[in-house]
Amino acid sequence: MFPRRLRVVVAVLLGVALTFVILDLRGGQGPFTSARNVASSILGGIERGAATVFSPITGFADFWTNTRDQKARLDELEKSNAELQSEVKRAADDRARASALDGMLKVAGLGRYRVVPAEVIAVGPAQDFTWTVTIDAGSDDGVQIDMTVLNYQGLVGRVSNVEKRTSTVVLIVDPSVSVGARVAGSQEIGILSGTGKQDALQYQLLDPLATLDKGAALVTFGSKDGRPYVPGVPIGEVLNVAGTAGQLSRVATVRPFADISTLSIVGVVVRPPRTDPRDSVLPAVPDAPVTTALPSPSPSPAESGAQLSVPSEIPATEVAPSP
Amino acid sequence: MNIKARQAMIIASAIFIAVILELTLLSRLGLPGATPDLVVVTIVALALAYGPLPGAIAGFSAGILLGLAPPFDGILGLEAIIFTIVGLVTGAVVDPRDRSVPVIMGMVGLSTGGVVLLNALVLAVLSGDRVVWENIPGLALTSALYGLILAPLVVPGIGRIVRSLTPEVAVV
Repeated sequence: MFPRRLRVVVAVLLGVALTFVILDLRGGQGPFTSARNVASSILGGIERGAATVFSPITGFADFWTNTRDQKARLDELEKSNAELQSEVKRAADDRARASALDGMLKVAGLGRYRVVPAEVIAVGPAQDFTWTVTIDAGSDDGVQIDMTVLNYQGLVGRVSNVEKRTSTVVLIVDPSVSVGARVAGSQEIGILSGTGKQDALQYQLLDPLATLDKGAALVTFGSKDGRPYVPGVPIGEVLNVAGTAGQLSRVATVRPFADISTLSIVGVVVRPPRTDPRDSVLPAVPDAPVTTALPSPSPSPAESGAQLSVPSEIPATEVAPSP
Repeated sequence: MNIKARQAMIIASAIFIAVILELTLLSRLGLPGATPDLVVVTIVALALAYGPLPGAIAGFSAGILLGLAPPFDGILGLEAIIFTIVGLVTGAVVDPRDRSVPVIMGMVGLSTGGVVLLNALVLAVLSGDRVVWENIPGLALTSALYGLILAPLVVPGIGRIVRSLTPEVAVV
């Protein structure tokens, strides 16, 4: 069917590609590691430039994405507005207490996570089934492999590959990612895994008898030496729980606090906290009656930002020099 | 410059631009479903303009480049295999005398949708836990749809460049 030359060339190409696949599948420090590092640092530099050129367009895209779900948000906001109107009247006392608490949390937040701010410059195609992004901070900025990445809302992922000025982040929604997570308050631990969907994670409690309520918040359990996950970073809230207490496996669906689809500014934790911050970094949860009344107790950027306030406190220049 | 060098330059720069555009612009637009697969559309356009052999070479190099560009985290060479097949099949199947719009659009839709399915199949065999099967129909359909939107912009453009710079080896 094909001329001889075409058959030979295609066979060679497919053979070479297959060799790459087999060598790459063996994992570890394959023969391509150095070639790949060189190529990806060059391409990463070009991507940095291209991302800057395209930033007006991608910025508009974010705006467009936001506009699409504004109808639902409008209803939601109207409802919560009525709620808040009544709350304002009895808020004076609450507000004084809240601002005192807020100030205290801010002080407690100092020196906790040492963060390098970075911007997302490239995103892996969805059809590759790998949820990864490239950020514009690398080993020059002190980023190392297996560091925790977060944004003002919560946990984003971990660093999987580092170049000089860019690095690759595997997001928590990647199906191959598992994070040790703790339920805020009850201290129950479990394993949180990505599902490949950007708005749902799966949480499996280790203790089948433990109670898990809808709306409960999860924080990272932490790993040895804070790699790959530092303790106490808010991850998400429980949407629903499958199974009843006592069943062999209890699985909950968790909505991540961080909006994975519109990531832009993230922070890489270059130094973990000296002690586990427990639940103090979680976004503010309203009092119990308010929680049931509000349509969706999702944390607003403003309040969770004020609580976390991590990236703003430590400018990039303060960060420890690269090794 | 001789004809082969000119042809190689055109193929290399088209693929390079497509990969950078796909990773830094198209994937960040936040469109629902798959990322618009500009790389596959470009391979199809090159294969249509040059025939099966340069098409296969273009597919191979695009796959390797996409495998080296961050944030790629999969298996190097996998996309090279799939894209080589896409370039070969496109160049071989489409008759140079029949370049009607439906044929070209059909080829682009089949390639962009088919790449998603092929990718999922091969990935499922090699590292099973990564593929989320319930997302596949949506990804394949949106990928084909975006491919059809990109095709009228990319295919005639590359065809014109090929015919004006390398008229000796252009298929049409």
